[in-house]
Amino acid sequence: MEVGEVVKVGGVGEDFIGAKDRPANLTGASDPEVVAWAKQGHEAAFRELVRRYERPIFSLLYRMVRDRALAEDLAQETFIKVLNAIGTYNPQFKFSSWIFKIANNAAIDHLRKRELETLSLDGSPHATTPDEMSATAPQLGDRGETPLQELEARELGGAIEHAIARLRPEYRACILLRHVEGHSYEEIARILDLPLGTVKTYIHRARNELRGYLEDRRE
Amino acid sequence: MTDSLMQHLTPEEIELWAQGLLPATRDAHLTQCAECRALAERERKLIRELAQLTRFAPEFGFVERVMAKVKIPTPSGPYFRPHTDA
Repeated sequence: MEVGEVVKVGGVGEDFIGAKDRPANLTGASDPEVVAWAKQGHEAAFRELVRRYERPIFSLLYRMVRDRALAEDLAQETFIKVLNAIGTYNPQFKFSSWIFKIANNAAIDHLRKRELETLSLDGSPHATTPDEMSATAPQLGDRGETPLQELEARELGGAIEHAIARLRPEYRACILLRHVEGHSYEEIARILDLPLGTVKTYIHRARNELRGYLEDRRE
Repeated sequence: MTDSLMQHLTPEEIELWAQGLLPATRDAHLTQCAECRALAERERKLIRELAQLTRFAPEFGFVERVMAKVKIPTPSGPYFRPHTDA
């Protein structure tokens, strides 16, 4: 029997999902199928959704907030919110768009609350002199780091990661969704609740800025 | 010379070129325009770098930590779904 095939149960007016369709076969199933199983209460389907999206969601959040522990908290919050509301999910939209939307909102809310949108390598936006900027900039790679900070410095220490960190959050989200996660412009517009034209402009500007930062570093 | 040969590439067309998806009619412009060619090559390099970025993993046990806080709906019976066959 093929995945997704329905086995009829005589006389009950409903179809029984055959043994091979149960969660053991979830790896090859599409997102809508896994979501449908989750809605029916299959724990394995919930686990499969977390397994599928833990890396993409965590990576997006980590690059948005540049703090491993915080990104993990936000990722957990995202999954819990999505999975606890799975019954309300509208299958007209892609599941990936929905979960990325919740994750991005969590990151943006957090950045706004904590003014972490200023967590660029230039330091605080309130800094007015080079000394103040330097004093408030994150010091990745310093001596005396905790193991977690060392890991963050290693993971986010490359030139491209530094350049991404300097983008404003809206540009950063757009560029990550487009060129790291491979979403279409239309999907990004839905995820970020932005007009399509704005998304195109943000991505274009973000790429210009990234090229500029990278070329400055290489000169 | 036709318009499509003369006109500089838009940012979207440059992205299409970087993905190997630019129509030949517009691709021809790149052979004649050093400015667009240089920009397109820099864009392609950047897009490739972005596409190769690491997918980071959360700490071990992430799935379990999430599942501990998820309320799984109780199925009303065995795994049924409405009949949709024609």
